[in-house]
Amino acid sequence: MTPNLSLILLLPLVGLLLVALAPAENTRLIRRLSTAAVLLAFILSIWVYAAYDHVAGGFQFVQNLPWVPALGISYHLGVDGINSMLLLLLGAVSFAAVLISSSIKERVKEYYILLLITVIGTYGAFLSLDVFFFYFFHEVAAVPVFLMIAIWGSKQRDYAAMKLTLYLAAGAAIALVGLLGLYLFSGAHSFDLMALQNHLALHPLPIDVQNWIFPLIVIGFGITLTLWPFYTWAPVGYAEAPTAISMLHAGVLKKMGAYAIIRFALQLMPQAAHAWMPLIAVLAVVNIIYCGLVALTQRDMKYLLGYSSCSHMGYILLGLACFNTMGLNGVVFLMFAHGIMAALAFALTGYVETQAKTRNMDEWSGLLACMPFVGTCFIMAALASAGVPGFANFAAEILVLFGAWDQYRWLTVGAVFGLVITAIYLMKAIRLGFHGPLNNRLASLRDTRTMVDKLPYALLLALLILAGCLPAVILTHISTSTKTIIESMH
Amino acid sequence: MFPVIDWSLISLEVLMAIILVGLVVADIVLPKNTDRDWIGTFSFIALFGLILFWLTQGHLNGTTFNSMFVMDPLAWFFKGFFLIVMVFIFAMTQEFFKTLGERRNEFYLLLWLALLGMCFMASSSDFLVLFISIEILTISLYVMTAYLKSDKLSIEAGMKYLILGSLSAGFMLYGISFLYGTTRSTHFDIIANFAAGHPMSAMALFALVLIFTAVAFKTAAVPFHLWVADVYQGAPTPVTALLSVGSKAAGFVVLIRLFFLVFKAWHPQWSLVFAVLSAITMTYGNLVALFQTNIKRLLGYSSVAHAGYLLMGAAAGTALGAAGINFYLLGYLFTNLAAFMVIVIFSIAAKSDTIADYAGLARRSGLLAWGLLLALVSLAGIPPLAGFFGKFILLMAVIKSGYVWLALIAAANIVISFYYYLLIAKRVYVDAPLNDTPIAVPAGMQLLLVLAMAGIIIIGIFQGPFFAAASHAAAIIP
Repeated sequence: MTPNLSLILLLPLVGLLLVALAPAENTRLIRRLSTAAVLLAFILSIWVYAAYDHVAGGFQFVQNLPWVPALGISYHLGVDGINSMLLLLLGAVSFAAVLISSSIKERVKEYYILLLITVIGTYGAFLSLDVFFFYFFHEVAAVPVFLMIAIWGSKQRDYAAMKLTLYLAAGAAIALVGLLGLYLFSGAHSFDLMALQNHLALHPLPIDVQNWIFPLIVIGFGITLTLWPFYTWAPVGYAEAPTAISMLHAGVLKKMGAYAIIRFALQLMPQAAHAWMPLIAVLAVVNIIYCGLVALTQRDMKYLLGYSSCSHMGYILLGLACFNTMGLNGVVFLMFAHGIMAALAFALTGYVETQAKTRNMDEWSGLLACMPFVGTCFIMAALASAGVPGFANFAAEILVLFGAWDQYRWLTVGAVFGLVITAIYLMKAIRLGFHGPLNNRLASLRDTRTMVDKLPYALLLALLILAGCLPAVILTHISTSTKTIIESMH
Repeated sequence: MFPVIDWSLISLEVLMAIILVGLVVADIVLPKNTDRDWIGTFSFIALFGLILFWLTQGHLNGTTFNSMFVMDPLAWFFKGFFLIVMVFIFAMTQEFFKTLGERRNEFYLLLWLALLGMCFMASSSDFLVLFISIEILTISLYVMTAYLKSDKLSIEAGMKYLILGSLSAGFMLYGISFLYGTTRSTHFDIIANFAAGHPMSAMALFALVLIFTAVAFKTAAVPFHLWVADVYQGAPTPVTALLSVGSKAAGFVVLIRLFFLVFKAWHPQWSLVFAVLSAITMTYGNLVALFQTNIKRLLGYSSVAHAGYLLMGAAAGTALGAAGINFYLLGYLFTNLAAFMVIVIFSIAAKSDTIADYAGLARRSGLLAWGLLLALVSLAGIPPLAGFFGKFILLMAVIKSGYVWLALIAAANIVISFYYYLLIAKRVYVDAPLNDTPIAVPAGMQLLLVLAMAGIIIIGIFQGPFFAAASHAAAIIP
C-alpha cells in the first residue's frame, strides 16, 4: 500500500470545514478538530517519508489529473527526496504550532480557520509538481498570514502585517512574470514540472531569454527567502506575529522560496544560473554578516530571532550558488534543520512572552531557575543555531561551507565568520535571559507541567538531535534528488 | 426586395422587447392606484425564463437583418453574462428601493431597457446598430443614475454622466462618419475587408481614435474615466453595480469585436496604444484608490484599475487575450457584485458608505464580513479566488505578445492594490466596531450573496470549464 498524497490536502481541508461549521463558543471542539487535522497530515507525511524509495529516486506516489488542459495545467502531485523531507518539516512544525496555539483565547474559531488555510496552502505547494499549482498554493497561504498578524499580533501588528504581506506579494508578482515567461518561451505548452524539465533538457532556452527570466524568479522568490536587501519584512513580521505564525513562517513558509529557486531557476535554467548565482553568493554573505551584526544589537528576543533567521538564510543562498551536490545537500538539509530550530526558538520565546508579558531580554533574567524545561530547550536550540556539533544545523552548515570552499574562498571565510557572530549574540541572549539571578518580578512564572505542554518542544528538539546525530536519515533522501538536479545542470 | 430574416438569431432580444413593451403598456394602462409590486416579481421570473432560453442558443452562429445583427459564440457568452448580472441587480433593486414607494416599480422598466441595450451591443455588426444600442443602454443609465431625485449627489452624478456620455456619443458618431468616408460603409464585414486590404490612413486613424473614445468611456479607461468616481458615489448602489460590471463588460465586448476582429489588420499599429493606456489606467486607478474614504468611490477607482488590467488583453490582441478578458469579466462579475451586495445591505442598515464605518463588521454580521473579504481578496487577485486566474491569463497573454514591461507594471499594480484592499479587510476583521448592533441580512439577499461567494470560489478553483467557455467565445478571433 502506498500513501495517497491528495489525502494530505483533503484531511486538513475536511478539518477546516468542520471547524467552520462548529459553533464558535465551543473552543474545545475547535481545538481538537484542528489538532486532529494537522496531526493526521503529519502522520501521513511521516508515512510518505518512510515509504519513499530513495534507491529508486525520482518522483513517487504521483497523481496526475488534467485541470485546465488548454493551458497545460494539471493537478499533478508527487514527491522526491526534497519534497518528502519538506513535508516532514511542515508536518512537525504545523503540529507543534497548533499545540502551542492553546494560549490563544480570543476569536478562536477564526484563528484556527486561518491557521489551517495557511497549512493547507503550504502542503499544497510542497506536493505540487505543476508550476501553476505550486504558485497557486503558495499564494493561498498569503492572506491568512496577513489577517493573523493583524488580529492576534502584538503592539506594531498593523505595520508588520502590511509590510510582510506587501513584500511577499511583490516577490510573488515578480516571480509570476518570470514563471509565465518560462512557460511561454519554453515551448513545452505545459506547466508540468516534469514536462518542463524534459523539454528544457533537450531544448534549453536561449541565453538572452534565460537572462531576464532567471533574475525575476530568483529575486521574486528571494524576497520570500529574505535575500539582502529585501529582508526587512521578516524581523518585524516575525516579532509581531502570533507565535504559531512566526514558527510556520520562519520555519517553513520562507523555505518555499529556496525550494522554488532550486526547482524552477537552477534546474530549468542552468546557463543563467552559472552567470547570476555568483552575484547571489555575494549577497548571501552580506545576509550572513549584516543581519548577524544587526541581531547583535537587539534587545527584543523575537527581533533577535528574526534577524538571526535572515542571517541563516545566507547559508542557504550561498549553498544554492555552489553547483555541487555537497552544497545543495547542505542547502536542503539546512532548510530542514533551520526550520525545526527556528520553530522551536520562536515557540519557546512565545511561551515565555505569554507569561512574562515582555520579550525584552533586559527584563528577563535567570529564567532557567523558574522554568528549567523551557530554559534547557532554549539553550539547546541556541546551541543548534550556533552550529554546535550534535545538532542538525551543524551537519547542514558544514556541508554548505565545504561545498562553497572551492569556488568562493573569501566568501566562505566571511560565512564562517558569521558563525562566530551567531554564537556571540545567542550566548548573550542566554546569559541575559536564562542565566544569572532570577528577576523577582518573574518568580511567579511557571514551567510546562504536563506531557502535552512539553510535547511540541520535545518533538522539535528530538528531531533536531536525531537529524544531527544520524544525518543519514535525512541525507539519503535528499542526495538522490540533489544528484539528479546537479547532473542536469552540467 | 426584402432580405430573408432569420428570427431565431434575434429571438432573445425579441422576447426581451416584448416583455419591456408589455410592462410599459401595463404601467400606462393600469389605473394609478393599482398595486404595481408584481412588476418586480414578474421581472425576476421572466429573467429566469430568459436564462433558460439563452441556454438553448449556444449553437447559434450567423447573421441576420442584412448582416447588421450577428449571433456568434462571443455574443452568446456576453448575453449570458448580462442576464446573470441582471439577476443580481434585480435583487439589489428590490432591497435598495424599498423606501421609494411606487416609483421603484418603474425602475425595472429601465433595467430591462438597459439589458436590451447591452444584448444588442454584444450582437451589433454594423456601426449604426452599435450606436443605437449604446444609446439605449446609456440613456437608461442616465435616468437610473439620477433616480434618487431628492439626493443632491444622485442628481449631480446623473448630470455629469449625461454631459460626458453625450460628448462621447458625439465623438463616436463623428468617428463613424469619418470611417464611412474612408471605407464607404458602416458594415463590420465590409470595413474588415477594407482594413485587410489597405494600410491605416490618417483619416482612418482619426476615426479609430474617436470611436475608441466612446468605448473607453464605457469601460472607464483613462483618460475617459473622469466621470467614474462621482457617478459611482452618487448613483443608487444597484446602478453603480450595473455600471461597474454590466456596462463595463458591454464596453469590452464592443472593444473585442471592433479591435480584435473588424480592425484586426490594423491591430499591430494599435497594440502599443492599448499597452500604454493599460499601464496608465491601472496605475492611475490604483494610486488614486489609495486615498479614498468612501467605499463606492474606492470601488470606482478600483474599477478603473481593473479596466487597465483588462486592456492588457486588448494590447495582446490575440484569442488568448480575448479569452483572458472574458474569463476576467466572469470572475469580476461575481466578485464585484458580492462587494456591491454587501454595500447595499450595509448602507441600508448603517446609512453610510464611509469606509471608516465598516470597522468591526465581522462582529456585526459574519456573512457580510466574509462576503466582503472574499470579494476584496478576489479583486486583489489572490488564489484560490476567481480574480487570480483572470490576471494570470491576461499576464500570460501580454508576455506572449512581447510586452514583458507591461506585465511587470501590472505586477507592481497588483501589489499597490493589495494595500487598499487589505486595509478594508483589516477594518472589517480587526478593528473594534463603532456600534455593535448586528446587521440583519434579508433571506433573499443571503441566498444571492452566498451564490456570489460560491461563484468566486468555484471559478477560482475549477478554472477549467470556465476558461473553456471563455476561450470558446474568443475562438472566433483568428
